[in-house]
Amino acid sequence: MNESDERVQELVRRAIGPMADPELKRDLWPRMRARLETPPVRVPWWDWALAGAVVLCLIVFPAAIPAVLYQL
Amino acid sequence: MSKHVYLRAYMAGITVPSAVMVLALTMFCVVRLGFQYPLPIERALVFPMALVPNLWGLWNMLYVVVRRRRQVPIGLFGALVPLIIAPIGLAVLRALALDIPRFVLAAFPVGLAVIVGGYYLIWKYAVGFFNRLLEIA
Repeated sequence: MNESDERVQELVRRAIGPMADPELKRDLWPRMRARLETPPVRVPWWDWALAGAVVLCLIVFPAAIPAVLYQL
Repeated sequence: MSKHVYLRAYMAGITVPSAVMVLALTMFCVVRLGFQYPLPIERALVFPMALVPNLWGLWNMLYVVVRRRRQVPIGLFGALVPLIIAPIGLAVLRALALDIPRFVLAAFPVGLAVIVGGYYLIWKYAVGFFNRLLEIA
């Protein structure tokens, strides 16, 4: 590191200034662990059946599609 | 993250209809401008564009309020939305003097059942996901 680099570092340090409070206010690990331990969402069979029925209705009655889009 | 719970609930609520709206607008452009379909759909667009996303946001805020007093499944709570939206939508169509094609009217009961079922699934999984993401659930 030459003299010019040190000068630039010093200028940057002076321009930015020291951080007021570098420590975290709280421990983030418990939240992270809770998120990791959350079980993945399981879709029950009746929801699959309902989704299938919805799709089937739209295929059998395509005239319902404008009404569905209008409500979304 | 306990600040602005209602604002976060509103944002979680409007996400899905706002995303779907882009799809609906694309279909509108294709049908109306591409195929020259002789129905002034643009007059009715104010409802899905302005009212529906706001209603979803407000309904999710209401869900936060209700859930503080009793446990209500979000899917069932969301499935009630079409029962409010459908009459308002029909009233808007009537107010704008827009003729609804007969084939759409004939399919309305099926459409309502589809909408209720679809809303149940969307609220349970999509809005529920955004609620968990924004730490409302």
